[in-house]
Amino acid sequence: MILLDIRNLTLEIESNGVLVKALDKVSLSICEKEIRALVGESGSGKSLIVLAISGALPPQWIITADRLTWRGQNLLKMNTSERQKIMRRDIAVIFQDPKAALDPSVKLGEQFRESIPDELINVRWWWQRRSEKNQIALAQLTRVGIKDVKKCLNSYVHELPDDVCQKFMIAMALVSQPTLLIADDPTRGMETSTKRQILSLCKSLNHNSDLSILFVSHDLLAISSIAHSITVLYSGQTVEDGPLESVRRKPFHPYSKALMDSAPSFRPELHPKSPLTALKGTIPTLQHLPIGCRLGPRCPRAQKACVNTPVPRTIHKRQYRCHFPLHIEAEENTVDNNEGENL
Amino acid sequence: MLRTLGRYFNLFFITLFILVGLSFVLAFFFPGDPIFNLTGRPLEQLPETPYTQALADERWLVAFWFYIQSLLDGSWGISTISGLDLFDEVSTLLPATIELSAYATIIALFVGIPLGFWCGLKHHRKTDYTFMSISMLMSSFPIFWLSLLLILIVSLQLGWLPMSGRLSLLYDIPHYSGFILLDIYMSDHPYRQEAFVDALRHMILPTLSVAFLATAVFLRTTRRAVVDVLEKDYIAAAQTRGIPFWKIFLRHIMRNALLAVLPLLAVQVSTLVTNVMIVETITEWPGLGDWLIQAIYERDYTAIRIGMLVVSIVVVLVTLLIECLSKVFDPTQEQFS
Repeated sequence: MILLDIRNLTLEIESNGVLVKALDKVSLSICEKEIRALVGESGSGKSLIVLAISGALPPQWIITADRLTWRGQNLLKMNTSERQKIMRRDIAVIFQDPKAALDPSVKLGEQFRESIPDELINVRWWWQRRSEKNQIALAQLTRVGIKDVKKCLNSYVHELPDDVCQKFMIAMALVSQPTLLIADDPTRGMETSTKRQILSLCKSLNHNSDLSILFVSHDLLAISSIAHSITVLYSGQTVEDGPLESVRRKPFHPYSKALMDSAPSFRPELHPKSPLTALKGTIPTLQHLPIGCRLGPRCPRAQKACVNTPVPRTIHKRQYRCHFPLHIEAEENTVDNNEGENL
Repeated sequence: MLRTLGRYFNLFFITLFILVGLSFVLAFFFPGDPIFNLTGRPLEQLPETPYTQALADERWLVAFWFYIQSLLDGSWGISTISGLDLFDEVSTLLPATIELSAYATIIALFVGIPLGFWCGLKHHRKTDYTFMSISMLMSSFPIFWLSLLLILIVSLQLGWLPMSGRLSLLYDIPHYSGFILLDIYMSDHPYRQEAFVDALRHMILPTLSVAFLATAVFLRTTRRAVVDVLEKDYIAAAQTRGIPFWKIFLRHIMRNALLAVLPLLAVQVSTLVTNVMIVETITEWPGLGDWLIQAIYERDYTAIRIGMLVVSIVVVLVTLLIECLSKVFDPTQEQFS
């Protein structure tokens, strides 16, 4: 069953009096018990998608979507308290910078107690609630593998190392027993052993508690070790979407190919000291977005048609948005084109 | 924590020492005899003490040592114009100044900070723009003009409030603490109630003129701090946890914004003191500012020296106190101490 379904999500931000599409028709869906990876460079809008799902975007930004549903309920039409309830019980988010995502002036214990939903506490009197909440906090923090739990609860954010903060964030996110965990680059800037711990934690949660995970990252190695399916994002556009293995073996979109090629560990045939391939240029800034397919100016296969935004085409459970895809014959592409328009 | 306090204590004493040294050197920069500038009397009229001996022999370093001692035991010299003892003068005048600035600050805090929070939460909307424009107008008012304008309209044209002074001459309240409201409360004057009302009526105009500018500054500072906090990741994170907004406001926004505002207020202390001095002069509030400006007009060098010393010590003390408080309250600051 599809938990979260996003179709053609567009986010417009006003920049110097002009509306800029920071996200342009992003589509994404997450099924039950699935780990989906959302990949893209920094600045491609990954974090914006996370904020759009969780409803924490500034009110002056304009969100439009053909579909943004949680178990069939439209998140955009919902009132604030209903949305808050879903965020409190069903969806949990962990952020890329744990230190910035925790209040620096409040002790961690208090922040943890605050995020425990009231339904989980069944004691009769209010003075018992605090110790009950502490019990839950202790259990959760031990579960994610924090060693000195008492000290952690009594500390401020700046007193703890990054990895403990990240585990604390994960514990805090999991306390409400969510169905979907959105992990926004949870392993950024971490050393390998900590990274492995966090990844295996995610994996075991998915295995044992049937937790679905939206794993937002640009760390291809981490993704390949846990994800089932992958969505590739470039400059606010989803360029390709499909099961991880088949995307990895045969990327349709030139950007996906460049992305896969940029990770040396994905290419066992690579000789020592051979140059790494990379697309020329950098990801465009919001002020200078190209028209049509946003990869256009950097794309090795770009032609005249690329100034029109390609429609999504589906083939074998995979979706891509490109006029001149790799590994697909031209006729096949046009046939699919019609299908795409019919959808 | 103790180390922070110790550091501030040190800082205060070093600054104090430099200020005292400066005030000593000032006596040599002023025209005339340095001994006369230091004590208010020519050398021949001074009593025979080790201090005057050192001054007479021009052993300046020794004299400086005795100068510090004389400052500590309260013999600050006499005014060259009026011949009054400076220590007595200052100790009657300083409470009046403190009173005026304290009330003005309290009004500004209670109006400016809540409004700042409101604007910050509604930033880039109509209420915010309205209040920002108003506060812009308020902070660009020259304070002497504002004070004159208030006197002109409220006292002279409408006749609602007295235009100058601290208390009507009808009431003879004995000097006790120097804080007028407290003195009236403590006294057993038969018209205590009336005197109290009169004192309040005298207080309104100067307090409002000082508070006017301070409110604008507090409003802008608080608004900026709130807007900054709202953009922080942890607010978005709290929202994604589905916590209702009023809880986020109480637990996260308010605390962090106030912690950010506190050190910025320390910067405002000297501006506040300057404004108080100007308003005192215009409304003839019998405070230190009025007295000091009078002394400058009359070239009363001993009074200028002591006035400068007292005002700067007050400014340094309050500034350091606020900074110290913000360090103590803010858990994230502890790591730098």
